[in-house]
Amino acid sequence: MSASTAVPSGRFAARRQRLAEVSSRHRSWSIVVGIAIIGAILPVLANIPPFTLATPTNAWMDGFTNAGVWVLLAIGLNLVVGVAGLLDLGYAAFFAIGAYTYAYVASPFGNSILGIEFVTKVSPDLSGLVFWPMLLVGALVAGMFGILLGAPTLRLRGDYLAIVTLGFGEIVPIVFLNSDAVTNGTNGVGGLARPALPIIGSFSALNPWPYYISMLVLVAVVMMLAYRLVESRLGRAWEAIREDELAAAASGINTVTAKLLAFALGASTAGIAGVFNASKLVTVSPDQFTFIVSFTVLAMVVLGGMGNFWGVAVGAFVIYTINNVLLKVLNQFFDAVSFPILKDIDFIQLQFLLYGLALVAMMLLRPEGLFPNSRRQRELHTQVLEPGADELTTAEATTEEGQR
Amino acid sequence: MTALPATSEAGGARVPMGASLKPLLRLVVPAVFLVGAYAFMGPEQFVNALTRGAIYALIALGYTMVYGIIELINFAHGDMFMMGAFVSLTFLGQILGLTGSITDIARLAPLLVAAFFVSMIVMGAIGVTIERLAYKPLRGAPRLAPLITAIGVSFILQNIVMLKYGPFQTNSPKIFPSFDIVIGSAKIPALSVFIIVVALSMMVALQLFISRTRLGRAMRSTAADRDAAQLMGVNINRTIAITFLIGAALAGAAGVVNGLQYGVSRFDDGFQAGLKAFTAAVLGGIGNTVGAALGGFIIGFIEVGATVMGFSRWGPAIVFGVLVIVLVFRPSGLLGQQLGERA
Amino acid sequence: MKLARVGAALAAAAIVVSACGGSGGSKTITIGISLPLSGSDLASAGPARDGALLALKDFTLAGYTIKTLILDHAVNGIHDPQQGSKDMTTLVSDATVVGVVGPFNSSIAKVQIPISNEAGLLQCSPANTNPDLTKGDAGKQLRAKAPDKINYIRVATTDDIQGPAVAQYGINKLSLKNVAIIDDTETYGKGIADAFAAEWTKLGGTVVGREGAPKGTTDYTAILTKFAAAKPDAVFYGGVTSTGGGLVRKQMDQAGLGAAAYLGGDGIQDGNGATDGAFINIAGAAAANSFSSVAAIHDIPGAADFAAKYKAEYKVDPGSYSASGYACAQIIIAAVKAAAAKGDVTREAVRAAGTNTATKFDTILGSVSFDAVGDSSQKIISMYKVDMTAAGGKGDWIFDFQVDYK
Repeated sequence: MSASTAVPSGRFAARRQRLAEVSSRHRSWSIVVGIAIIGAILPVLANIPPFTLATPTNAWMDGFTNAGVWVLLAIGLNLVVGVAGLLDLGYAAFFAIGAYTYAYVASPFGNSILGIEFVTKVSPDLSGLVFWPMLLVGALVAGMFGILLGAPTLRLRGDYLAIVTLGFGEIVPIVFLNSDAVTNGTNGVGGLARPALPIIGSFSALNPWPYYISMLVLVAVVMMLAYRLVESRLGRAWEAIREDELAAAASGINTVTAKLLAFALGASTAGIAGVFNASKLVTVSPDQFTFIVSFTVLAMVVLGGMGNFWGVAVGAFVIYTINNVLLKVLNQFFDAVSFPILKDIDFIQLQFLLYGLALVAMMLLRPEGLFPNSRRQRELHTQVLEPGADELTTAEATTEEGQR
Repeated sequence: MTALPATSEAGGARVPMGASLKPLLRLVVPAVFLVGAYAFMGPEQFVNALTRGAIYALIALGYTMVYGIIELINFAHGDMFMMGAFVSLTFLGQILGLTGSITDIARLAPLLVAAFFVSMIVMGAIGVTIERLAYKPLRGAPRLAPLITAIGVSFILQNIVMLKYGPFQTNSPKIFPSFDIVIGSAKIPALSVFIIVVALSMMVALQLFISRTRLGRAMRSTAADRDAAQLMGVNINRTIAITFLIGAALAGAAGVVNGLQYGVSRFDDGFQAGLKAFTAAVLGGIGNTVGAALGGFIIGFIEVGATVMGFSRWGPAIVFGVLVIVLVFRPSGLLGQQLGERA
Repeated sequence: MKLARVGAALAAAAIVVSACGGSGGSKTITIGISLPLSGSDLASAGPARDGALLALKDFTLAGYTIKTLILDHAVNGIHDPQQGSKDMTTLVSDATVVGVVGPFNSSIAKVQIPISNEAGLLQCSPANTNPDLTKGDAGKQLRAKAPDKINYIRVATTDDIQGPAVAQYGINKLSLKNVAIIDDTETYGKGIADAFAAEWTKLGGTVVGREGAPKGTTDYTAILTKFAAAKPDAVFYGGVTSTGGGLVRKQMDQAGLGAAAYLGGDGIQDGNGATDGAFINIAGAAAANSFSSVAAIHDIPGAADFAAKYKAEYKVDPGSYSASGYACAQIIIAAVKAAAAKGDVTREAVRAAGTNTATKFDTILGSVSFDAVGDSSQKIISMYKVDMTAAGGKGDWIFDFQVDYK
């Protein structure tokens, strides 16, 4: 299936292999460096044509930050679906729980429900400081719900699990929608404090940079933690469960704890994303967390390459950019360059079609995703895999073995 | 072959109930449920629940058949239902130019047959084409790859219908005359009776097809073990194509029924309907056709029951709540494993 | 680093290019349109966009090049707050943008107002009716950065006026007593239904049933059968046609409620029986005996002219929000002209002109001015009833009665 991956030859392959080796030996540093490089390149791209033709730089930066929210979600779902093999179709529920958690602490309405007077008594520059600890609290609360919702699903396998999680994904927004007294119902909760830092004060809606840089840091930290987890004992337990739950249980893995932890940690990542997104939109409402959110994140994970965190991050970035940026600006872009014929097509009406075609085409071309996880690739293609067929595969495999 | 482990036989091999007790229970439990529901909600709402359930059941059948044979959660299936409704309204309304109800049974009957025939044929053909283009190349790919293409196909189908018919609701001619059958104090719409009868007869026909015919046997064996079936000379590709054909045709039939009953369709109707039908399929035990039909009716009853009790806002939450509870106690759905499918 | 240098060089080149490209003697100003324009939202927001574009089409101003920028914040077919916020960022970061028509949904308004408020960008919503967007503490929270610098205005009257108006009409004019209420669980639908219910009870009427069915519901028979048992004189629908307004009316007959009156807000007042997807078109013959409100005076000079112009341009009749979109664009145009008359057309000048409480804007909805929080001071509600003999037998809304809630 990996026929599309050209077999690299000679020096180039050796270099890639060395890079892969170095990156897995110094995992955390390589993540920091990688994110820093990407974080530096994106603003440059946002400043040059053709990117500036249809969208101003600040809007690009805002879009990149939004994409970061999806990257966080994809990393979290990857823990559950890609690593532990538990198909979760209701991931938006935890995103919602994280967002509402922040809303309760950082909005006047939420404060009145909790019976505290926080945001009303404190200046915005100070109340926004609560954002930082709230990232942790949001993660904790969402994680707790992950365990709560994960518990009934422990006996379920495969697609039965999928539908139950889908059910939770439907139930949670309905609860937020219909519990008017404590959630303000369909109106949602508004007036949330924007994050603040001691010197620069409260973040501004007009300056995308503080959000952007915070998001880079968040993604880097979450990705480091995710890699640590996967390379830990727990990570191996997850992989064992994914491959064969019975065998995993038989070899002494506590599958109950491992599965619950997968749900909890996946959920807490969504919680972090929820807190961040809420602090950026400064309002939360039930319609931000529909089923389509869960679906989109799943598509990002599958497209990026299940099990591979860099892969799903790229998948999230690609899908967000296609669906929320490229398809939206086609009209303006072709108008700006006065491209014949194309400038007369109303691309807004064709978005679904183009997005659908993109999903189908990408899956048909790369069924394992853009950057498949090495081990999963081997499982799928034991017969066709040859050494060096996928440079990343061999490199990672070697070091993984080496670590044991 | 699978990335995510499908429910294996080992997982579902539950302690068998006493062999003599089981068939008896199969009759008693639904009978008690139906009598209880009737007494609780009254005849009108009972028929409302059956009608709604019948449509869910018809869609759920296609879901479950496709799942049974290739383990794909075909998220585009709800959109096949939606397209079926549009094929039917195009045929009846735009090609034949009908608008109102037709009281002459000699004219109505052939029109109804033709509507079902056209919609089922067209949708069957579309279903097979989609399978050929979007799912077949992914056989042997990771489990979730076809799931994502299914989502993609769903978007494509919606956009096509939206471009043709616009983003708003489109009228579908309600050719079935609206009159009530009066039983005692209860007034039952004749259309509802017609819908329930049509749905049930299609389910029986499908059941006979699967259990009695050569093709049906090929489908069952492919579902049970594709490799073994192939070794036994079953043409796998053809069998899978036929499964899609039948599933999509049933969705087409559900679309016709939907048009007759509600008289309106929109390009995004398939999403909610598909979600409910998928839930129905899982509730009944995914891969099991009887289970899917049963699940469809149960969801119809839960939703109508929730409304009767004053929880219309919570309808979907209650449906999924029941689903979770059922699956906690029966992890393979109500009738999981019954036909020995892989699920 | 080589890469960074190349990037910097490209960036510098870009700045030069864009600087050269922009200057052609006249100054460019852009009017933004921020609406959900794909998926089912298009059914109601599309006419608002078309209305706005119709007004902007002939707008010229000496010394200025006028541009429009249309941004769609529906993602996967539903209005998306994250995208709405990004679109507003796009608009505020483009220095040429001086006014925005939009948004459509209040959940989008809630993420957009804080951004446009901080940037001081004039924004006119053709459809928002939620009182919380402007009034009281909730409104102040949205304008946290500049609470007294109003930048968000809206031409639709809030739910807390329209809902009670329909209730008064039902009780006083139609002599109805028992009503069953169904809403679409969305902000507009539930808000107007709540306001309606409160007033109905206050006036001595009885609410015999209250249910909610979200958008996407196709089967209302269970709810309506339940209503029928309580024998209401009327059913009130809180919501718009596309979330079920037409379907509910269509299915009432089947449930034995064919004779009951049908009440609704401006969400079901969307053109005659020949208009695709309009309430009367969907409900068909069942639409008779339906009543709805519109937050505008009835006989606006130029209404017929507008309808004709709209039809000539788009080959369809104006939809429910076409006139509101048109009016928003008219107000922004007037504000731009006022700013130009005073000197330079800057964002701040346009904002100040558009939110000036002393100015009366002459629009297709009548003469509109805005109060201290940006709500329309036009508080006249007109009531319409369906006449199935109008529009050549297809049915149309016929003006019945209007009242001023000053």
